[in-house]
Amino acid sequence: MAKIKKVLVANRGEIAVRVMRTCRELGLSTVAVFSEADRSALHTRYADQAVCVGPPPSRESYLVQDHILDAARRTGADAIHPGYGFLSENAGFVRACDKAGLTFIGPPASAMDAMGEKTRARANMVKAGVPVVPGTEAPFASVDEAKAFARKLGYPIMLKAAGGGGGKGMRRVEKEGDLESAWRAAKSEAMSAFGNDAVYLEKFLDEPHHVEIQIFGDSHGNVIHLNERECSAQRRNQKVVEETPSPIITSQLRAAMGEVAVRAAKSVGYVGAGTVEFLVDSSRNFYFLEMNTRLQVEHPVTEWVTGIDLVAWQLHVAQGGVLPFLEPISPRGHSIEVRVYAEDPSTNFMPSPGRIQYLRVPSGPFVRDDSGVYAGYTVPNFYDPMISKLSVWAPTRAEALARVRRALDEYVVKGITTNIRYLKHLVEHPLFQRGNYDTGFLGREHQRLLGEEHPELVKAALIAAAVHAHQLSEKQQAQVAGLSAGGTSGLSPWRTAGRRLTGWKRS
Amino acid sequence: MARKTTYFAKNLAQKNGQATPVEVESLGNGLYAVTLDGHRYEVDSLVLPHGAVSMIVEDDSYNVDFDGKGDEVAVLVRGEVVRFDIADERRIRLRAAAATFQAEGKQTVSAPMPGKIVKVFVKVGDLVQEGQGLVVVEAMKMENELKAPKAGKVTEVHAKEGTAVENGAKLIVVE
Repeated sequence: MAKIKKVLVANRGEIAVRVMRTCRELGLSTVAVFSEADRSALHTRYADQAVCVGPPPSRESYLVQDHILDAARRTGADAIHPGYGFLSENAGFVRACDKAGLTFIGPPASAMDAMGEKTRARANMVKAGVPVVPGTEAPFASVDEAKAFARKLGYPIMLKAAGGGGGKGMRRVEKEGDLESAWRAAKSEAMSAFGNDAVYLEKFLDEPHHVEIQIFGDSHGNVIHLNERECSAQRRNQKVVEETPSPIITSQLRAAMGEVAVRAAKSVGYVGAGTVEFLVDSSRNFYFLEMNTRLQVEHPVTEWVTGIDLVAWQLHVAQGGVLPFLEPISPRGHSIEVRVYAEDPSTNFMPSPGRIQYLRVPSGPFVRDDSGVYAGYTVPNFYDPMISKLSVWAPTRAEALARVRRALDEYVVKGITTNIRYLKHLVEHPLFQRGNYDTGFLGREHQRLLGEEHPELVKAALIAAAVHAHQLSEKQQAQVAGLSAGGTSGLSPWRTAGRRLTGWKRS
Repeated sequence: MARKTTYFAKNLAQKNGQATPVEVESLGNGLYAVTLDGHRYEVDSLVLPHGAVSMIVEDDSYNVDFDGKGDEVAVLVRGEVVRFDIADERRIRLRAAAATFQAEGKQTVSAPMPGKIVKVFVKVGDLVQEGQGLVVVEAMKMENELKAPKAGKVTEVHAKEGTAVENGAKLIVVE
């Protein structure tokens, strides 16, 4: 396999930046693609080369295969990293890359065919002897078909996009009366997110845990697993907080799930980074949910406890390299990741795109912030509202919890509303602290997670707000006085501004 | 220049909460005397670039950030955000004079963010129940259904399927 020299990253935001960072460390050139809405995006600025691939809607830019391939040709890129979402699980795109002589950094098209479409993956896993959640093996042609099947299976059920992931095109349905509107919403969301509106359904398990296994394969038939990630802190099936090790997994269960995940990956000839997602019920039985044939959003927690740069490994195996080691490794310490979204938890998590007036990100010992934004950047309203992933490492879970709280306290974003306070309340919640939280946790505890008031802090905030108002009004009066004096004071405004820090202009 | 002013601050997290009077007096050199609930605090407030403030109150050090416009301000301190509506007496009088009354019972449903109208479920004259879906707005890949704030009759429909809307655009009126 040819050596990679220049990587085009067919994605945007934090993941594009994250991939390019490793490329830069390895001495590889990077190419960004960007839509018209992303001319000022961080990934566009970070890359060595950048090519516009179309108008803002992803259907007309990031999802247009020909535009991406043209950009690769134009810049002489020899490999394409798809990130997550967009074209990352599109087998047709992998074939188009192969045909164009470009190395696709990910699994072969055949493995994606077998795993990418969720319904086909279920059927393949049943064949491989992997336990699956009861449900359909093929997408439905009509809502009536879905209705008839749901009636047989019994409510509640989950409607899911066959081509999907990331919680998009997914709906929990409690009763038959809700099925039609959920069906409509799931299909239209799936169409706009994945360009494929096929929808299927599964039985909804009660209070399950969502635990996934990171696997890695090379082109020589080796597959290993890199332990689990606990992803049960979900809202609308979108992960919010992830950690590893899972607080509910014993080393025996880890080994059993890891063995099944490796078997699943081997059965489809998997190469590269992949994730096998499982639901774990209250008796600690586990069921195959789906396989994500790409790098996951939450991969940093695995990197923290294994010391592996997963993107570097992806590049290594894409060039025909053998996995650096072939035995399972024990997790070292504990890692937690929280996802920072431009959204307002108090108004049903309404997205809040807009200009970031000011940004101060946490730092200090064992803190990592994977961000796709910067101060002065306007978060566009065309894409996912995730702006950053904050992750921490510590020797124990208790220390990691304290560290992530500390880091969240340091996080300041002004100009747009974010879920940072919500995240802090989440990691402070006693159930989360104890580690026994299922996928219904965030929904049940919603009100509490919006936060309670601390009287001492309210008092401090009140004093600060009053002094702040007073300082603003004094400044205004000083300006008015300065204007009416007509500049006869003889001091230039620049000199007066420099005299005291309080003279700094607020942006 | 008025060196001593009383501000009235309402904590926006408390519905129907009372405004708390806070008196602030400039002592010069970045020092302020703040009187709250009969207690006098000496406050050292240093304004830093970008509007961040380092505040020391009776030896307690607070790193404070402000975000907001007009009289509404969000105060970020020690990882928590408290939102206030804060104004001095003069501003409060101005606001009272400018206040307008909404026709009773008339409710406007407006776009909570910039986005695209995906679906409009109602037309003028329709009778709707409280909580009934009126419009679906798509932004950032998520579809958000806007629901009727009350039972009543749809009197205006400004939302058109497939069109883009700005933040705050009037979409539907229910009476």
